[in-house]
Parts: sequence; C-alpha cells; structure tokens
Amino acid sequence: MTWRIVRLVVQYGLVLFAAAALNFALPRLAPGDVTDYLIPPEQAGAITAEQRERILARYGLDEPLPVQFREYLAGLVRGDLLISARYSRPVTDIVLERLPWTLLLVGTSTLLAVAVGTAAGFRSAWKRGRATDVSTMSTFMLIDSMPPFFVGLLLILVFSVHLGWFPIFGAVPTLPTEGVELVVEVARRLILPALSLTAAMLGTIYLVARPALVSELREDYVLMAQAKGLTKRQVRRHAERNALLPVTTMALINLGTVVGGATVIETVFSYPGLGRLLYESVLARDYPVLQGTFFVLAVTVLAANFVADLLYPLLDPRVRRPFASP
Amino acid sequence: MRSRGMLVALLVSSLLLALSPTASTEETSRVTIGLNGFENNITPFTHSFGAFPNTHDLVHLVYDSLFWSQARDDPEPWLAESAEPSEDYTTWTVSLRDDVTWHDGTPFTADDVQFSMEYYVEHEADSGRYAHHVGDMPLYEDSEIIDDHTIRLDFAHPAGQFRIMPGADLPILPRHQWEDVAEPGAFTEELPVGTGPYRVAEIVSDQQYRFEANDDYFQGRPLVDELVMPIIQEPAAAFAALQTGDVDYVSQNVPTELIEAFDRADDIEVLRGTIFQSIQLYFNTPREPLDDPQLRKAIALAIDREEIVETVLLGNGEPGRDSYMHPESPWAIDEEIRQFDPDQARDLLDEAGYDQMNGDGIRLTPDGDPLAFTVLVSSFDPQGIRTSQIVAEQVSEVGIDLEVEALDPATIGQRRRAPEPGQEADFDIRVGGLEAHAHVDPDALYYFFHTPGERGFGETQTSYANPEFDEIVVRAGESGDLDERRELLAEAQRILAEDVPMIVVMYPDGIWAHRTDGYAGWIADFGHSPLTKRSFLAEYAGTGVGEGPLGTGVEEAARQPWVWVLVALLVIAVVVAAVFLRRRGADEYE
Repeated sequence: MTWRIVRLVVQYGLVLFAAAALNFALPRLAPGDVTDYLIPPEQAGAITAEQRERILARYGLDEPLPVQFREYLAGLVRGDLLISARYSRPVTDIVLERLPWTLLLVGTSTLLAVAVGTAAGFRSAWKRGRATDVSTMSTFMLIDSMPPFFVGLLLILVFSVHLGWFPIFGAVPTLPTEGVELVVEVARRLILPALSLTAAMLGTIYLVARPALVSELREDYVLMAQAKGLTKRQVRRHAERNALLPVTTMALINLGTVVGGATVIETVFSYPGLGRLLYESVLARDYPVLQGTFFVLAVTVLAANFVADLLYPLLDPRVRRPFASP
Repeated sequence: MRSRGMLVALLVSSLLLALSPTASTEETSRVTIGLNGFENNITPFTHSFGAFPNTHDLVHLVYDSLFWSQARDDPEPWLAESAEPSEDYTTWTVSLRDDVTWHDGTPFTADDVQFSMEYYVEHEADSGRYAHHVGDMPLYEDSEIIDDHTIRLDFAHPAGQFRIMPGADLPILPRHQWEDVAEPGAFTEELPVGTGPYRVAEIVSDQQYRFEANDDYFQGRPLVDELVMPIIQEPAAAFAALQTGDVDYVSQNVPTELIEAFDRADDIEVLRGTIFQSIQLYFNTPREPLDDPQLRKAIALAIDREEIVETVLLGNGEPGRDSYMHPESPWAIDEEIRQFDPDQARDLLDEAGYDQMNGDGIRLTPDGDPLAFTVLVSSFDPQGIRTSQIVAEQVSEVGIDLEVEALDPATIGQRRRAPEPGQEADFDIRVGGLEAHAHVDPDALYYFFHTPGERGFGETQTSYANPEFDEIVVRAGESGDLDERRELLAEAQRILAEDVPMIVVMYPDGIWAHRTDGYAGWIADFGHSPLTKRSFLAEYAGTGVGEGPLGTGVEEAARQPWVWVLVALLVIAVVVAAVFLRRRGADEYE
C-alpha cells in the first residue's frame, strides 16, 4: 500500500519534472530573445549590447542556463513563477487571471462536446448502417472539417452582425456591471466561443463514441443479455456504460490539446484565456510566462489523468482494485 | 415529463435573459474604441509595441510634450509657451505655461522638465523610442532652472531642431512620480500621472483600458468624458464590432477589401489621412554582392511599384521613392523618382559585370555565383508577404532570383542585427514597415543611414556606410536655419536615391472608420491616426459630440472570474441532472 503511494508520487513527480525541463528548454531553442520583441523594430539599434543585457538581467535572463533552470525550479517549489518580461508582472498573477476563463471556456465546451458527441455517436451506433447513421456521420464530419477560425467568424457573422444576439469580443462587458446582469452578460459572451470550440472537438468525440459502442454491441454479453430477455433499456445501460470508457479517456487526455485549440478561438473572440497568452508569449519570447503557463497546463493535464484513473474503477468494475496504477 | 418541461423552461428563460438589452442611464459621454493590441502600462518606459502604430498617440493622450505635433516643421507650443535658441543653437531657453497641473493636482514646473531630460538620459535602455532624442541627436548636457516656468537647456552640440526633436516628441514626466523609480521598465503597479487630456482610470491586462477626461486640461476640457478601449486583435472581429455598434471606432487601418462597403454604409464614415506609413526592402549592404550599388539600383528599376500599389493596396497608396522619405513629409524631395524600367535594369546589370547567366536564366556574378537572395518577411504581415512575392516575380524578369521566407517577428529581429558589433547581420534582404515618427523626424535619415558605430543605429537597418552622407546628416541635425536644413536633407535624400540601401515599395494611405451615430469629432490629424489627442479637443476636433453609448456606475466584481467557473459548473450540473431525469422517465429506447 505505502509502496503504491510512493510509486504513484514518484511517477507523477518524474513526469512533472520532465514537463518542467521541456518547458524550460523548448522556448529557448527558438532564435531571438525578448529584447527582439520589446524593442520596436526601427529603434532596435538605439540601445547598445550592454543595455540589452541590462533588460535581460532584470528578468534573470542573462544568467547561465543552469542558474536560470535552478531559479525556475526553486520558483516552482515556492509557487512563484518569476516575472514576465513582456508585462513586467509576476507570472503567477497573469496566469491566475487567465486560468479561470480558460477553464470556463474549455470546461463548457468539453462538457458540451462530450454530451452531444457521445449522444450522437451512441445513436449512430444503435442505428448503424441506416440513414440516421449516415446522415449524422456526414454532419459531424462536415463540422469537424471546418477550421475553428472559420466557424468562429461564421458564428459572429450570423449571430452578432445579422441577428445582433451576442457581443463579439471579450469575456465581460466593457462597462462595469454587477449581479444577475453580469451573469447574463458573461453567459452571452461565452456562448459563441464555447460553441466554436465545441464544434472543433465534436468530431473527435463522436468518432470515439460510435465505434466504441459498435464494438460493445458485438460482444457476447450483449447477445446474452438480449437472449435473457432484458429490456432494451437494460441492455443499453450495460453496453453504453462500457462504451463510455474510451470516451472519458479521450476527453480527458485531449484537454491539453484543447487549450491549444482554444488559442485561435480566443483570438477571434478576444477572450482572455491561456491559449492566447501562450501564443503571444511565444511571439514575444517571454520565457518566464511560457515556462509558467506550460507548467500550469502540464499540472492540469496530469490532474485530468489522475481523475481519469480515479474514474475508471467507477465506470469499469474490471479495474476496481485499490490504487490502480496510472 | 415534468422534468422535461423544467428543462425547456430553463432554456427558454436563459435565452430570454440573454436577449434582454442592458439597461443604461445617461450620465457620461463615452466612446468605445477597438484597440488592436494591449500596450501594457501607458508610460514612455512600459508601453509595448504590441499595438503599434497607436502607441505614440496613446502615450500622448496621457502625457504632453513641450511642442505638438512633430508631423510639421513648425510644431505649435504646447506645454511650452516659447523656446528661444542661443546664436549657435547649443542652448535653448524655454518658457513654460503656468496654468498646467498634473492629473493629481500638483503644479507642473520647470523642475519637471529638468527631471524628465535627466531621467531619459539616465534610463536610455528602457526607452528606446524616446530617449535617443536627448541621448544622441541632440545630446542633452545640462540645464538651469531660471524660475518656476523658465528653464535653460544646454546641448553638447547645436540642437537646431529642438522644437521638433525632442520638443514635440518627448513626453514630460512628473518628478514626484518617477524620481524614486529605479526600474522604469518595470513600472506596472501604479497608473501614470501626466498632464494630458486623459488620465488612465483602469487597465485590465490584455482586455481593456478605460481613460477619463482631465477636467482641468489647459487646452480646455476634452469633448468626451470617457474612452473605453477593449482589445480586439482580429481585424475581422474588430470591424464586425464596428458594424454592430459594439465599438465606435477601430484603431486599425480599414482592410482594403472593406473600404468600398464602408464608403457606402450610412452608419459608418471612412476617414482618410496620412500617418506616413511605408513598406520597404532593406538590403544588408555590406554583404556581397549586395554591396554593389549598381545591383541594388537595378533591382529598384526592375520593380513596378505602381502595379504593386494597385494589386496589394487596390490603389490606396502611393508608389515608393528611393529617396526614402514619405512624399508628404515636410522634408521630402520630389525629384529623383525612379520609374519602372526593366530594360535599363538589364543594361545596368550587363554593364556591372552580371552579364553571364546559368541554365535557369539567373545572372551570375563575375565570380560565377548566381544572383539569388532570400527576402525575410514577417509571417504576421500579409501585406508584406504579398508585396515581396510580387517583387520576387518582377525581379525574376531581369534574371535575379528572390526567395521569400516568412518568419516570426522575433526571429527576424535576431537575424537583422549583427551578433557582435562589427560583425555582419544574417540576412540578404528583408521587408519591413515604418510609420509616422520615422518619416517626420528630420533626424530619421541620420538615425537610419549613418555609418554604424557610435552614432545612430544604422547597424540594425541596412548597415549602409558613406562618410559623405554622414557629414551631411550631422550638419542637418545641428543646423538651426530651416532652409539650410531642408537643403542638406534634400542632398542626403539624393545620395540615398543614388546608393539605394533601401527600396521603399509603397506608402499606404491611412484609412480609418468610425460610426456616425457616436462621437463625431474624429479628425484624420496630419501625421497621426484619428485616435490622437486633437480629436478630443474643441479647438481642433470635427463637428462636435454625438450621443455615444452610455453606461452605469463603477465597481470591480467583474474582475473576479472564479465566480463564473462556479456559476458555469452549477448551470451544467442542472442541465446534466435534467437530462438524467428525462432519461429515467423515458421507458423505451426507440
């Protein structure tokens, strides 16, 4: 038992360390540094090499790489993600401002995509080969093939420009609002970006859900259940419960990718999430923000994995044993 | 089916709520401006150039300079009442207005001017945009406060154009806010205190700015009480928001393909003006064989700039000139406009020894190397990419091969500068854009094209080196006589047109759009975008104030996003519960 816990901690610890090391190393492999971003192009020569050094020194980016790495790890232990070179503010603050919006957007879209995608996938599976299946499949393939950017602009065109139902930009109104009105305004601003992101995920979920149920329906236990004379609803409960396993895994493993996919949608809708922050920080070579944000994302994905591990035994009695290893 | 009814009721009610318009009361006149990028704290040391081109004008909503504006050769007195030079222009005596206060009520005095000069010199690295106008050309030395509103400024060499640079450029800082700030580049905790028409009331990182009018502004109270500036980067979304009326003005240039539609729309007005934009090819002039001016001139002759203006800008611009400066700049010359002439280009290349060709029809240098070059362009600059592709096609007609390589801006930033002083930068040709300041600053020629070294910053541009040119631009910078300076700058431009270290492909027009049912005072202020302080001052602004969208009081709850995660989870829980209840109710799978 203790051994299991130790093993679990060591495993997650190693993965986290590897993620932290990669987050540190990868951005630094790209050419250029933050001064190339901070200094406006036609003024780039106005400062000397020493002045450039001094700017880097302010953010600890002039130190040798091992020292920077040590500082970064020490910061992680302290819960301090250093100072952003682009904003001159603590990375922790910046990430915490963005994280809730990303969770809201990605969370809403993931749940929506899983609900709709699974329902449609299961329906297709039950009706496989029939007209319903073919038409559902084609619809989902069509949605899946549209770039999220295009879906977003299309939604803006229809629901904002023509119908005038939803605002086009931001997560909160430009003017201070409070109470119920604020809830409504935040919801109005969430709908279009969430729908765009849902559309981007829908195909994947559908494509996992449908074959998952199809293969379950071919299992002997389904035949057995039907032969036993169980109602269709009872049979469905058996089969769908098992088919949910790959869907859950897919949805949780996908989280990291979804945050990346949210970048485009956050840009189109000026939504203040982590995706856009990451993208702009890559352009700005803002290493502290990059390593901090990627680390937070790594933790989130690992946490999702952990949740998946915990959920499995609930969904699947076959893996129901203490401390299923990840 | 009770629960199913509940679900429907829930959906309907949330839809109704979503559609109900926001209540508003009439209190404050307000203009909403879609800004194309977040600029960090609005101080001369912290603003980033994410939203370039607005930066200079946003900073100058909050701060003032001694004169305004730099776009003309005779800026009007602003914080200053007058400035008189000594005979040799090394000393300027500036008398200041005595009715100016900082946003916090502290009086503005000569002490602040002295402090600003010293502070910019001391912190030059943190303010590449402004400080070189007191730390290089001209070089600030010392000053003496004569009385509260008079100051004498001493320069190391003649400061002939003091009224323009630094006079109409340098934002004057309050000593009481900055004197204890050791790291101005990290000044993000406090909002700036300026003398300008607007003070920053709120900054929500990457989301929006809110500016409030400075009621005591010495040029009169600004016409709009509040400027709200949400950040909308994506042009398609920003202009959609203009169409729906979510914003009154968009800070970006109207994309060429939208101009016609906006010209026809009743609720949108298109403003045309100039902020002196240009798009140009920079040669890495020390690199062989591009170090040959004949080759560079031949490339210039092989580019059909009229066609590029028609294709890329749909005619909304002017073809570029090899004399560099924008045609409307007070310093530009009109002769020396190079016409498209591929035959002359071929002759020139033959004469210069590039008369042999390889099997692909590409000319060879006398050493036998093909005339093949890479053109670097930012992958975020669609206009630059299209321009360089057309240039490559045109230049291939005379036997020169250009390959366009689109890279991200920071990579280009690294490759354009020499790794160590004296070394060669790692590019052949690159495409870039410049704006306003770079064409109206009479010292721009000095800064961009002076031989690399102690003075100017030519090493990050083209590394062009010509001692004769250096002497002329230094003399122009020091000359106090307007005619003499103009003649010297004309001479410098003629030399550039002959040596072609840079080819300006085109000068795009400034084209902006605002709504007609909101604020009506927008002006296409010469050398600025309409988002500039004079658009909001009664003496300069257009026809007056319209009824802008109006709003309610101020509070901070909107900035606590965690609440929304909880709310969303709750809503989702309800929906999921409703779905499950419904499923329980359904007996049979169809």
